[in-house]
Amino acid sequence: MVETTEISGMVSNIQRSSMHDGPGIRSTVFLKGCNMNCQWCHNPETISFSEELLFYPDKCIHCGLCEQGCFSGAKVPCGRRMTATEVLEEVLLDAAYYQNGGGITVSGGEPCCQPRFTKEILYLARLAGVHTAIESNLNVSVDVLSEVLTEADLLMCDCKIFDEEKHRKYTGVSNRQILQNLEWLSTLKIPVIIRTPVIAAVNDTPDDILPIAKLAANLPNLLYYELLPYHALGLSKGTVNSEKIKFDAPSRETLYALAESALQQVKEVYIASKKYKKTAEK
Amino acid sequence: MEKLSYPERVKFLREKKIEHTIKKKEQNGYMDGDDYGTVPLPPDYEFKPMYFADKDFFFGDISYALNFKHFLEGHPLYVDPLEIMCGRWADMLPHYTGRDKAYDTVYPYEELKPLQEKYDIVSGIGADAHFACDYSIGLQLGFGGLLEKIRHYKAINPEKEEFYLAEEITVQAIIDFIGRHIEEIRRCLEKETRPELKETLEEMLEANKSVQYGKPETFLEACQWIAWFNTVSRIYDRDGAGCNLDILLYPYYEKDIQKGLLDDEKATFILANLLLIDTHYYQLSGADEEDKDLTNRLSYLILDAAHWLNCSANLTIRIHDNIDPEFLRRGVTYLFEDRNGWPRFSGDKGLMNYQKNEGITRKIARNRIAVGCNWMAVPGLEYPLNDCVKINVARIFDISFHEMMEDADSEKSTARLFSILEKHLEIAVDVTAKGILHHLTCQQYVMPELVMNLMMKDTLETGQDISVCARLKTVGVDGVGLGTIADSFAAMEQRIEKEKRISWEELFQAVEHNFEGTQGERIRLMLKSSERYCQGSSLGDEWAVRISKLYACKVRERKMPGVIELIPGWFSWSSTIAFGEKVGATADGRFAGTPVTHGANPNPGFRQDGAPTAMATGIASIQTGYGNTCPLQIEFDPKVSAEQGGIERVEQILRTHVDKGGTLININILDKDKILKANEDPMQYPDLVVRVTGFTAYFATLSPQFRKLVVDRFIDGI
Repeated sequence: MVETTEISGMVSNIQRSSMHDGPGIRSTVFLKGCNMNCQWCHNPETISFSEELLFYPDKCIHCGLCEQGCFSGAKVPCGRRMTATEVLEEVLLDAAYYQNGGGITVSGGEPCCQPRFTKEILYLARLAGVHTAIESNLNVSVDVLSEVLTEADLLMCDCKIFDEEKHRKYTGVSNRQILQNLEWLSTLKIPVIIRTPVIAAVNDTPDDILPIAKLAANLPNLLYYELLPYHALGLSKGTVNSEKIKFDAPSRETLYALAESALQQVKEVYIASKKYKKTAEK
Repeated sequence: MEKLSYPERVKFLREKKIEHTIKKKEQNGYMDGDDYGTVPLPPDYEFKPMYFADKDFFFGDISYALNFKHFLEGHPLYVDPLEIMCGRWADMLPHYTGRDKAYDTVYPYEELKPLQEKYDIVSGIGADAHFACDYSIGLQLGFGGLLEKIRHYKAINPEKEEFYLAEEITVQAIIDFIGRHIEEIRRCLEKETRPELKETLEEMLEANKSVQYGKPETFLEACQWIAWFNTVSRIYDRDGAGCNLDILLYPYYEKDIQKGLLDDEKATFILANLLLIDTHYYQLSGADEEDKDLTNRLSYLILDAAHWLNCSANLTIRIHDNIDPEFLRRGVTYLFEDRNGWPRFSGDKGLMNYQKNEGITRKIARNRIAVGCNWMAVPGLEYPLNDCVKINVARIFDISFHEMMEDADSEKSTARLFSILEKHLEIAVDVTAKGILHHLTCQQYVMPELVMNLMMKDTLETGQDISVCARLKTVGVDGVGLGTIADSFAAMEQRIEKEKRISWEELFQAVEHNFEGTQGERIRLMLKSSERYCQGSSLGDEWAVRISKLYACKVRERKMPGVIELIPGWFSWSSTIAFGEKVGATADGRFAGTPVTHGANPNPGFRQDGAPTAMATGIASIQTGYGNTCPLQIEFDPKVSAEQGGIERVEQILRTHVDKGGTLININILDKDKILKANEDPMQYPDLVVRVTGFTAYFATLSPQFRKLVVDRFIDGI
């Protein structure tokens, strides 16, 4: 495997102590580059495949020495090429904390846009005894997906909008491939979590959620279905190349109503990492 | 009239405590310290100490004993029919002793002061308490038995008559103080109309009649006895060291349960009352010398009692390999549920390094329990002065940096700076050691520990103060400013030596001018964005390990006479503001006079993601290794607990930090919006409790600077 350790890819960030990207304590590797362009994306800096400078004008101290390096936080480079081994070195700093279900999550961007790199990271992590998870938008071919997932212990994937036209409008792409893949996931031998980001006035009605929950319910390997309420974090990120629109977050009541709907199909529903209990059980 | 249940009574007591907090704030202004469980003073209260003629201080055995007697005679009584035990303290003798003046006048140490000031050393000279009583001594004898013990040894050691006389006066004063409370209980009983309160007032009366002289026999009596000792010990010298409460009380609990005198609900009420009376530091559970877990039913009930009270408490759970997982889970759950900063968690593995000190057995090391802000002590045997002696190492760094830069002939490098730091550190440790020796020589004459002596080994037996006869004098010497120094070295190595972005002279000019101007600010931000301590395998991490090793080595190298040993640790207490005022601008990008880093914690902003795992790993790696603590102070968002697996994640961080050798973990669970609002208008949140460092305090009673310290750390930490 000597030569394969040199496989490299674009990484935007490695977040340690990640509490929301899978079970236990995890290190989440955010790869750079995505094949979708969701208007509400909370990680817009991971959309472009290239290195870029994030710009936060409020932090500029007007020293006039930008070329010699910016230290004020006004211009922050985003994206660095790393080898899979380098990624692992950083991930293994927290190896001792990965007991009880923790591990590595490769996220993005879309990790399957860098399939060899993603697979290699997961392979090396497994070799080191670390639980592996991947977050995907499923907008890739079954071949690519199945290849990458050979090294994953858990898949967390999104199905954002069921209606194709609406999906195209808000994400820039059709959802046909995603829905096909969603059915194909039943053949996998690993657990799957299906998630839907809920954005007010975009996909916050039971009619939006029910068909997705129905597809999720067909998966024998489904751990649970999760609703992720929209937040505006992405707007605070100083990306140069993408204009983001401010949406509204769904109300708590809306989320509960959606969860109740979804529970008609699936056994377990989560809202933002918290297990939703039926009204009668509360 | 419906009968008040025990939980309802605790709820009312909690509300009363909040009223007390508001009143105390009005009376005292900002407190910047532990809540202690004190009650407000009556408006007409006044204490006039008995000073020496023409002096404004007193000292020595008899003077302390007489003043203590006089103090207790005038101290307000406290009996509340809602409670089942009585007693509370409102004022303390140290406010009136003029101890520093006694030292300056009678036992001066002028020759040490120049270097102490130069290196900003908190010498510990004159420090009181900060060791741990062996409560089993008092519980086996009672106050009457202690009086007999004093008289017994007085006859054997007639040359120590003055010492014994002072101890006799002290115990008699305590007995009389209890006696006055007995009368007060009787008065309350006459007035009380509610049957359930009358019933517990009767129990209170009987328990106090028993423990006024006799040794406690029942669970209630044992708790009341401990409450009395804690109250008078606080009054005498603010002593807050408790005991392994669950283990100590278990025989009383078991006996009363078997006799049908007690059930768990009543036991919990009694324990809540004990915790309400004073915020002494108690360790819960632990392991014996054969690694057997010591958790018992009372361990749970004490946590439950604190949960009922839902206010300030200082409970520490010792995490060891065989800890009852359910008990640990209960502790972490309450930490998140109540958000009062308790329990804290100590790390068995790191603390067992205490065995590296001369003559310390495994059994002693295990018995060295958490009884203070950041510290542990062996009950009855040790006089550690823990948390009393501190060296501002950041100040020494500042001095060393200036020495190198101002010497035209000196090589300018991090290696050279490190060697200058080493030289100054050696001098600072030496003068610290001399201060400790001065204290150990003089303290017995200035301020004998007349109350705590009662429950120490060899004190009454030999007629000596504990500062003289302690079998273990493993004195803690805490360093201050580790993160500041480590990040400064890392920034210099990275920006000057490796990247050559700035020169030594440019750095010096920027530091000298406190990073003034745009260019100064640019340099500051460059330094600040260097590889920091707790980032993980960073230059800052490497320097922190190196500096901590150097510090530990210099403290250990300083040989002391007899059984005295110096033990290194990193702990600033909450004095980061005061220490920071003595330190100029530093190469970590810190402005002159601003706080230095807290305890063993990194600089705020050490990582963008603020990863607790990174901090826990970094702090575990700089432990000084002789059984004193370098605490991990960490903040979590309360939302973590509501998430699936949230509690387990926090537990994992605790366990891993302890596995890696971490010694103490202080945690705040704070709601971001609440803490920000409370900072703007503290009195809107009189019940908000935070763990400032090792101690918990009501947020509203903290000064704006202290509040900022907590807010900054919290906002950065999540």
